[in-house]
Amino acid sequence: MEVILETRDLRVEYRAQNGQGKKVAVKGLNLKVHAGEVFGFLGPNGAGKTTTMNVLLGFVHATAGDAYLFGVNVREPIARQRIGYLPELTYYYKFLTAEELLRFYARLFGIPRAEADRRIDQLLRLVELEAARKRPIKTYSKGMQQRVGLAQALINDPDLLILDEPTSGLDPLGRMKVREIIQRLKNEGKTVFFSSHELGEVETVCDRVAIINQGELKVEDRVSALVEKHQANLEQIFLSLIGYQAEVTA
Amino acid sequence: MNTVWALAGVVIKELYRRKDFYVLFVLTAVMTLLMGSITFFNDPRIASYLKDICLLLIWISALVIAITTTARQIPAERENRTIFPLLAKPVTRGQVVAGKFLGCWLASGIALGVFYLFFGVVSASREHDLAVIQYLQALWLHWVMLAIVVGLALLGSLVFAAPSSNATICFIVVLGILLLGRHLNQVALQQPEPLRTVVYSIYFLIPHLEWYDIRDLLLYDHPGLRWTDCLLATLYAGVYTAMLLLGAWLLFRRKPLHA
Amino acid sequence: MNRPVRHSLLLLLLASACFTLATLLQPRVATWGQRHAADSLMKVVLGDGRRLFANHFFVQADVTFHSGYYPSIFDRDQAPKGTRHLTASPEDHEEHDHEPPDPGREKDEDHSGHACEMSFLGPPRDWIEAFGRRFMVTEHTHLKGGKEREMLPWLKISAELDPQRVETYTVASYWLRNLGKFQEAERFLREGLRNNPKSYEILFELGRLYNENLQDPNRARNVWELGVRCWDERESKKDKPDLLALDELTVHLADLEEKAGNLARAIEWLQRALRASPRPEAVQERIEDLQRRLAAGGSRPSP
Repeated sequence: MEVILETRDLRVEYRAQNGQGKKVAVKGLNLKVHAGEVFGFLGPNGAGKTTTMNVLLGFVHATAGDAYLFGVNVREPIARQRIGYLPELTYYYKFLTAEELLRFYARLFGIPRAEADRRIDQLLRLVELEAARKRPIKTYSKGMQQRVGLAQALINDPDLLILDEPTSGLDPLGRMKVREIIQRLKNEGKTVFFSSHELGEVETVCDRVAIINQGELKVEDRVSALVEKHQANLEQIFLSLIGYQAEVTA
Repeated sequence: MNTVWALAGVVIKELYRRKDFYVLFVLTAVMTLLMGSITFFNDPRIASYLKDICLLLIWISALVIAITTTARQIPAERENRTIFPLLAKPVTRGQVVAGKFLGCWLASGIALGVFYLFFGVVSASREHDLAVIQYLQALWLHWVMLAIVVGLALLGSLVFAAPSSNATICFIVVLGILLLGRHLNQVALQQPEPLRTVVYSIYFLIPHLEWYDIRDLLLYDHPGLRWTDCLLATLYAGVYTAMLLLGAWLLFRRKPLHA
Repeated sequence: MNRPVRHSLLLLLLASACFTLATLLQPRVATWGQRHAADSLMKVVLGDGRRLFANHFFVQADVTFHSGYYPSIFDRDQAPKGTRHLTASPEDHEEHDHEPPDPGREKDEDHSGHACEMSFLGPPRDWIEAFGRRFMVTEHTHLKGGKEREMLPWLKISAELDPQRVETYTVASYWLRNLGKFQEAERFLREGLRNNPKSYEILFELGRLYNENLQDPNRARNVWELGVRCWDERESKKDKPDLLALDELTVHLADLEEKAGNLARAIEWLQRALRASPRPEAVQERIEDLQRRLAAGGSRPSP
């Protein structure tokens, strides 16, 4: 199966905030995500998930190792031609309307005008923002901004969707809609790579997961295989892999 | 290039949706019209003072628009986190720098065009005549000068943490060059070594923005500049702007951005 | 009582309190510093700093007179001293061979006096300066042909900011007279006199207006005589009195009296001028001439 996303011995170091030495955020990460799968990227806070995503998206340069999207090194901007990215905190140009924002991003992808118009109409319907398309984003609620984020992530009909905590801050209805979209994308043969703390959701939608802790990959396997091997749910597996000892209650 | 134009378009939209430009234009217009309503010694033909005041206000407003608009571009993108969905697209950091520059320069140019149109109307209404060649040369050189200023502010936005400090420093540097740039060689010659060498070096290194201020030629109806001089000044501005943008790109391309 | 009514009453109470406070404080504020005596917004806002601005605008008038050709603060050593050059007329320069190309401006190619003072640029020191000169005014010219009116707003603003600066009034008056605006010149000089009651300079200028432009020698005489009295009051006790001003006043009075046929009076004024004039021998010659005429024919108006 085609490898859509790959990291090879990825290492990322930062200068420590107290000025003493370096902090290693990611240590020798080797990861592979195949075409058409929904891949969950899990870890506690500070594990290195966001750093890994930053490298994949070109926000940060790796200290050592490489990362590839569709076989193209992430340092090349063209590697991002076929991806969609939804950040955890969604902020967009407040003075633009949803329609203008999507048109702007479509232009960045080089999508022709007529095709862009068609996709904008379709996406705004999908995320239920048609009525608000001409209003500036500064008038939107948080949920509406999240939906605009989802729309912009899908504007180029991406083959790989990278989602950072996609259901964070959403109400149950919003979460359900996100899950539906992920399922729909999977049915279309798209690949989804997302990080989340909602292990229940991950267990439901993901084909494979990787659990990372303190910059190191602890496990990478199919969800069903992990559950069968450890005879526990994903949350319990996660906690044991990160070294959390549950308190024994009398 | 399409990407650069798309980025520029967003900057231009921001300019005309923010209040800054309208406030400055209204202020300029009101102050000019107020001064124009005064008749000195019962002579309605006096025009030079009005043109002088109008041009001074235009220069101040244009600098404010150019510097404040540019100084907040990249820092605002980072602070508002709009840089992340932007760079997650197939956009290079060089294109971001180029797009921001183009947008800020064009936005300043549009604002300048409106201001100079107003100036032309005021001037023509008083003198019933307009020196079109000098007027267009003044507008062109002013806009070309703003390219250097925008480049400087863009570089500054990647050096200084806060847009306010960047804007303040840019204003001081630009005003310093406009007022003193022409005379630094004179000042240098009056200093002992090694200060003389330092000041003379600064004199040669700084972009001579004062060349582009031809208000006196416009105000006092002097003949227009030679077109070769205009072209050379434009090339000079182009080279400096390119250097400043190169510096900005070199700083920006290795800057880590943490989502 | 409902909320809007309560809010209205509260606002009314606050407004009353403010008004009462203002009424109580106003007499006290009036005694704070010099600003209470100020009668214009400029004086209140700028204080003594307005004099700096006034000087700037006076210089701006000079810049306008020279159509933008003016030394910077770095060239000030070579700048024209005093303000006499601001009232330089074309007749003060040597004749030119050619007509100036711009009818509103006169080129000054004189290589002495004022022209020398204004040749501050010198050869360019480097290529930057050489190129930069293509974008600035490098020709020494004076406004003429009615365009001198462009200086007037700056002089007016300067006078507003510093009413005690006498030369603003005298310079403005000179140009107003040249432009044929005699009523405006008189009004402006009178304004100057109100702000500077003992100014012999303004009185001299006013006298010139009456004598040369308004054809009223009697008023001119009165004003010049008052000028001489003011000069005596202000200058006579100084170590270095302003002799040039006295010379001008007394010589003009002598001319006036001579024209009116009052030769004796004219001689008195010239004798006063003798002590102040930079060319006493010329004055002495004139006195002798008048004495001869007086002896010969008595009082007769001169041709």
